[in-house]
Amino acid sequence: MLVLGPVNVLNDLLLRFFSQETINFFIWPLIQIGLVVTLVALWVAYATYLERKISAFIQARLGPMRVGPWGLLQPIADGLKLLVKEDFIPENADRWIFFFAPYIAVASAFIVFSVIPFGPDWAVIADVNIGLLLVLAVSSVGVLALILAGWSSNSKYALLGGLRSSAQMVSYEVAMGLALIGALMFARTLSLSGIIIAQGSDSIWYVLYQPAGFLLFLISGIAENNRAPFDLPEAESELVAGFHTEYSGMRWSLFFMAEYAAMVVVSAVAATVYLGGWYFPFVYRLELAGHHNLYVLVSLLVFLVKVSIILYIYFWLRWTLPRFRYDQLMDIGWKWLIPSALINIALSAIAIFLVQALNGWRGMRTIETLDRGLNLTASGKVIMIVIGFAGLFITAALLSRINWRSRDFNLKTQRRNIRLVNLPKGKPAVSASEV
Amino acid sequence: MPLVKTPKATWSQKLKRFFMIDLIKGLGLTFKYNLGAITDKDAVAGKGIYTEQYPKVRPDVAPRFHGAPRLNMDPETHDTLCIACNLCALACPEDCIDVIAMDVEIIVAGKPRRKKVLDEFIFDTSRCMFCALCQEACPTACLELTQEFELATYSRAGFVWNREMLEQGRETVKYTS
Repeated sequence: MLVLGPVNVLNDLLLRFFSQETINFFIWPLIQIGLVVTLVALWVAYATYLERKISAFIQARLGPMRVGPWGLLQPIADGLKLLVKEDFIPENADRWIFFFAPYIAVASAFIVFSVIPFGPDWAVIADVNIGLLLVLAVSSVGVLALILAGWSSNSKYALLGGLRSSAQMVSYEVAMGLALIGALMFARTLSLSGIIIAQGSDSIWYVLYQPAGFLLFLISGIAENNRAPFDLPEAESELVAGFHTEYSGMRWSLFFMAEYAAMVVVSAVAATVYLGGWYFPFVYRLELAGHHNLYVLVSLLVFLVKVSIILYIYFWLRWTLPRFRYDQLMDIGWKWLIPSALINIALSAIAIFLVQALNGWRGMRTIETLDRGLNLTASGKVIMIVIGFAGLFITAALLSRINWRSRDFNLKTQRRNIRLVNLPKGKPAVSASEV
Repeated sequence: MPLVKTPKATWSQKLKRFFMIDLIKGLGLTFKYNLGAITDKDAVAGKGIYTEQYPKVRPDVAPRFHGAPRLNMDPETHDTLCIACNLCALACPEDCIDVIAMDVEIIVAGKPRRKKVLDEFIFDTSRCMFCALCQEACPTACLELTQEFELATYSRAGFVWNREMLEQGRETVKYTS
């Protein structure tokens, strides 16, 4: 076993000093954590490179080309530059909060990687049975960092950016959590590995059962990460740079790292919950006897590819769409995303109820087992997928009916209406002679 | 009640909005550009990369572009072609050329004669507007505005080119990577 070799040798070596239990619960997790932190940091650095490259390609430019071949060493050069730059703290800033806010941002983004299942077996640090809850809880702590950074900078731009980001993140978090519930109804577990295994044993990606949920999760994830077109907290044209206006050097780059790490987290959760995680597309029983570690590595690669595709969608959207107005942002959050997430939950509940009711009706079989998530037969899957995609249109139609008044939100019209109210009655606004 | 009447959306407009056709169109356009940049198709058709790798790759200059001046020499004898006739200095609208000639005694057919020979040629590129009237005036095709465009220097004095610079060309750093 070529791939297995070093792992076993290392295990034997460690057995001389520690007991097997210590190795399993202490040494291996430490190695995993070290690997994940370094690799994710590197990945985040190269995400900035990819973003620059992709934005350049979309705009028919070349992007970074001078540092290394094809500018491949650019992130390292940038990192070095930021490390040696002056770490400036404004005179009237709240020093300690200003000092610690970036750490909160980075920590809340990186802690989440402890439960992300990069692959089966040893490729996940901790398979917690409340994994998804932990992801949502910890990543929402990131808002705190932005608020603290905005407040402690003692600058109007930073404060406004912090206010905006807190309002935005709080309102989109609701939609994000609600969007995931639909998928959880099928998986019947909060453990991220459990969700993947449930998809594997059902031989399907939940994006087919939950297309609306997937879209909602992606949109609210983009908004949650303050990415364009929802990058109101750092709108350059209005707020200079938003909450990190006053930051410089390494502290600024920590915010940058946190943003990209949070993007990777949201993409990873989307890939886990909706795109079948580390399962190879269409092949769910890939494992060969005796090649376990190779299987884990292949699964790891599949997972990374899926995450990269979602990251590409992030970049793609950023360089296609202009920024939303603030009221549009809140409109989308409260009037569209949250109600549609609720409708999605109701629809999936009805769908599951329907499938369960149809099971055994006139000899029809729709459910295989309920042991590892909801496992459906072919006919059950067809029903579920049809309801899922019909749900997209049902939701959109219902909401456009409900929101028909607020769809054409026109500030100019509103102002005119307000001006009309104050007009003295009985007199025309413009006298006839003037016309 | 709105004062400005907005036209009522037609059925096709509503459908377009419902299926977010415009969003998909926009995404398609950016994706097309991205694909074109990766495969690097024809740059003129808007599907490739426009960026010029300037210090590495020399840009194509327009054929009628006038750049750095040059005094041409006889390719065999390496003597200057300039006859110090001062026509270029007279033609120059900016008055930025100084032709300094000296008298030399030469023997022509056994008789001593005096002849004007070029001693120094001052060309102030900071005042030059690259109209190439001097080039037109030159009877021996000696003074010529080349297509070199890297004229930046560290001081004002550097803009004033003397005869040696005009004949040999100025040294610039050539970037290869």
